[in-house]
Amino acid sequence: MAGTAQKGLAEGAPDILGQSRVRATMRLDFEYDSDVGNTFLAASLQEPPLKVVRAFTLEDGTALVHLHNVSGGLLAGDHLALNVNLGCSTSVQLTTTGATRIYRHRPYSSPTTQCNEVAVGENALLEYLPDAMIPFAGAKFHQRTSIDLAAGAGMFWWEILSPGREARGELFDYEQFDMRTRVTALGRKIAAENISLRPGSQNVSSLARLGPYHYVATFYVCRVGLNAGVWHAAEDLLRKLTSRLTRPGEILWGVSSLVAHGLIVRCLARCGRDILPGLHSVWREARLYIYGRDAIPPRKVN
Amino acid sequence: MRLLHLSDSALPIGALAHSFGLESLVSAEALNVGALPGFLRGYLQEAGMLEGVACREAFRLAPAEQQKFFAVRWIEINDCLSALKPARESRVASAALGRNFLQAALALGDFPVLQEARDASLKSMSLMHHAAAFGLVSATFGFNETHAVLAYLHQMTASLVSACQRLLPIGQNAATCILWNLKPAIVETSELSANCTLDTVDCFMPLLDWGAMAHPALPTRLFIS
Repeated sequence: MAGTAQKGLAEGAPDILGQSRVRATMRLDFEYDSDVGNTFLAASLQEPPLKVVRAFTLEDGTALVHLHNVSGGLLAGDHLALNVNLGCSTSVQLTTTGATRIYRHRPYSSPTTQCNEVAVGENALLEYLPDAMIPFAGAKFHQRTSIDLAAGAGMFWWEILSPGREARGELFDYEQFDMRTRVTALGRKIAAENISLRPGSQNVSSLARLGPYHYVATFYVCRVGLNAGVWHAAEDLLRKLTSRLTRPGEILWGVSSLVAHGLIVRCLARCGRDILPGLHSVWREARLYIYGRDAIPPRKVN
Repeated sequence: MRLLHLSDSALPIGALAHSFGLESLVSAEALNVGALPGFLRGYLQEAGMLEGVACREAFRLAPAEQQKFFAVRWIEINDCLSALKPARESRVASAALGRNFLQAALALGDFPVLQEARDASLKSMSLMHHAAAFGLVSATFGFNETHAVLAYLHQMTASLVSACQRLLPIGQNAATCILWNLKPAIVETSELSANCTLDTVDCFMPLLDWGAMAHPALPTRLFIS
């Protein structure tokens, strides 16, 4: 009965449904305080369910921010936007407090969308280190991410996609997972991803896609201005590490230079347990090589 | 006949020297003869779509040869392809084939559009990918757009099958059958590519990306990529 009413509402007044969608924006602007050598959160706009408690200062002056979604996950019809701006010479670490749960799609609601726009200013450094994204059975999700790097800007950015609630036996039971990512440096595209997974209508386990693996992670390591020789050397260095982390049939790690200003690390795994420790290892080694400084793992509640 | 000539996998541009990550998959025993037809179908749906769209977009550039935006768009198409190819070896392989293909076409006569495209790429230090070069050359030579995309996808698939013949125990007849049976998938990919742009086309091949990323570390290699 409720479904029928909902359907009628959708057919009769689609605009009403459109207006009822949650539209929430989080905007975070960071600036550098040269007097104390710290980055601080200069301005923020936080619309529920998106929330940031405060920025914590790490020992090297980096601002650590935990991104909260107080609704517990992304709900059907949610339309969320994250806008992050890093001023010149800032250093920012963004992380989540847990996995991003993408809940089941409801009939007559629009797909869940997340739009991320990130600008990293001159000589600034962004470290985006979230937990995995978990699309629940029936989830329908679209994400758009645009990252712009200015001269001297750097970035460590990873994303992990799980196949679903594996412990409940949900493997690729989601309806649709679309992800568009663009990374530009000095106005020129250096990396892009157009991913569309529809397990109901395509064989995601084809060897042309994930093969026997269930999890996939992508890690971008960038610093604008370093020449190709540095990136080839970094690629060689990280390949030794990723070769050690690789166990064919269980987990694969690969690394490659981007067209300029960075490199990409890919991981495919049958189970998710080893992905975050592996990403942390790659991050530590890459950060030491590219910035000459140790990585500082983000403090989490747990 | 000219399109057949340019799309022949035996055209000496170096296509036979690349496996685009397949060699690593075979080496890791992830790909075998039985799985090959299914893999190639998936490859066409992902990489084939991307390459087909790029081929079409470059093809459609040619009529705009008098417009000043020609070079800008040509570079955008190639930069977009470069960004969408995460594995360095596969990206460089695609660019080597594109450069060699354009060079081969330029040797066939006086073609200002092709010259301008090559000069613009060199000036901006942008790569010239095979699919884009094939589309532009096909339009310049007056071929039909759909025929050009079909020919490109066919030679791309034939090159992969040829690589697999050297990596896996596949006889000539079996290879012929595999390629023959893929013709409907090639046609379907070509048709679908007409409805996409480089901004909207999807391409997700993480396992093959891994293969291309791991390739430089293989102890013994038959292929450059």
